[in-house]
Amino acid sequence: MTVIECRGLTKVYGGAKALNNLSCKIEENKITGLIGRNGAGKTTLLKIIAGYLKETSGELNVFSENPFNNLLVSANVIFIHDQMNLPTSLNLKEILDTAASFYEKWDHDLANRLLEYFSLNPLQHHNGLSKGMKSTFNAILGLAARVPLTLFDEPTSGMDAAVRKDFYRALLKDYLAHPRTIIISSHHLNEIEDLLEDILLMKDGKELLHLPVADLKEWAIGLQGKTSVINEWTRNKEVIYTKSIGLDQSYVAVRNDFSEVEWQKARVAGLELTPVTSSDLCVYLTSKTKGGIDDVFN
Amino acid sequence: MSLTSVRLTDVVKKQYLYKMKAYSQVFMSLIFIQLLAVLFSMNGVGGMGSSDGNMQIEIKYFSAVLVVVFTMLWGFITAIIITTKAYRNDDFVFVTNRTSSNLSNIVFLLTASIIGGITSMLSTYLIKVIVYYFFSDVSLKSTSVLAAPNEFFLGSFSTSLYIFLFCALGYLFGTLVQINKAFAVLIPAAFFGGLIIDGLRGNEGVIAKGFNFFFMEPSLTVFIIKVIVTAGLLISGTFALSNRMEVRS
Repeated sequence: MTVIECRGLTKVYGGAKALNNLSCKIEENKITGLIGRNGAGKTTLLKIIAGYLKETSGELNVFSENPFNNLLVSANVIFIHDQMNLPTSLNLKEILDTAASFYEKWDHDLANRLLEYFSLNPLQHHNGLSKGMKSTFNAILGLAARVPLTLFDEPTSGMDAAVRKDFYRALLKDYLAHPRTIIISSHHLNEIEDLLEDILLMKDGKELLHLPVADLKEWAIGLQGKTSVINEWTRNKEVIYTKSIGLDQSYVAVRNDFSEVEWQKARVAGLELTPVTSSDLCVYLTSKTKGGIDDVFN
Repeated sequence: MSLTSVRLTDVVKKQYLYKMKAYSQVFMSLIFIQLLAVLFSMNGVGGMGSSDGNMQIEIKYFSAVLVVVFTMLWGFITAIIITTKAYRNDDFVFVTNRTSSNLSNIVFLLTASIIGGITSMLSTYLIKVIVYYFFSDVSLKSTSVLAAPNEFFLGSFSTSLYIFLFCALGYLFGTLVQINKAFAVLIPAAFFGGLIIDGLRGNEGVIAKGFNFFFMEPSLTVFIIKVIVTAGLLISGTFALSNRMEVRS
């Protein structure tokens, strides 16, 4: 079943297009990573899915309904982000109790155990927490709500390394026990890579790639060697990234459509072939220029 | 995973219960503002005096009218406060849509108005007690708590309606300000401008007429109808305005 389906989705903020004709489909019970640079439109997309914002044009269906002003979607979606407005007059325990009254499948036991594990004082108030602890508490809300569609926007911002690791593990464990559709947007692809099934890569409000993580790892290949040889080899290839190393050496990332024979030939020609990690690939694909920051200084 | 289906009335009920708990500071400010009004009432709300050389008479009236006025102002401000981002966006953490959020706010304001109405009527007794102990030569209209229960309930009821009218007005103003910040300047400017023009022309202007329309109504039934219709219009205006509002933090 398709949980989210959008066609030609556009959102205009004061003249700028935060989402520009975005089309994508997200299937049920998958963990999808929403990856993109700052300002690529990740948060805007999540906000529209959660029914916070209304699309300027295009079509969006969440559980086959438009999410804006929709109680069904609201009851089945939770949107966790770092600017969450939690009632300042309630302490953490009361917030959890309130959430329990709203979400039918809420797991109160899990919420309390997580609260205890992360040493959050139930009598404390949300605005008295540190940034990382706020994120931790929000993440607990997202996990314990057990709604069919969980949206995490930068859930780990401010968390320390240990808590981040624990959170990913908790997420995975709870997902395995209660499969549901989860979207995580993050800047740390290398951290969440093992968790994800699919990756949705966004650039300038558009979908750039949407494919399983396993395919992404083989999507591109890095070549390193003499610049002249590299140039010859990459003449008819889709070059994603180039970097010169020393005087006459360069490194190039290209779309991996080499055949086995070509691989052999490249090795013979003195080229070094290396895989491109998914997080590097995402950086290369979403950068504005082929040479990255180096171009500014050339 | 199967979807959870929800009914609007259930969500409104849950939101109402949640708001009664989360917005508890509103009632703290009610207590504070009413005590302040009681204190101001000690100066008397009306009076007269005369003297003829060697004799001086001064008469002061004490009543809870100032408490009622302060409570109406409190209702107005409370309604504006709950339309601000900090409160409005709270709903969106949990299950909601704009209709349920507005409905639960209205029910909350109605509850607040009733509590405000009853407490301001009860403050009469506090004023009586204070006046009895601290002023000499007083004549109390009645010393028993419920000498005229009908009068008390009728008073509470109509005071609640007045407060609710101000809540509805504040709710609309607050929503307008949320839509465009310019209203924060325009509405007070229009109100005070209207007062000044009324004063300059020396005859009854729009604001004075509006005031008389509600406060000088002798018939209770007509008054109830007036308040319900006006509040209904204000609230439905708010619903229409806020139904397309986005959640921005």
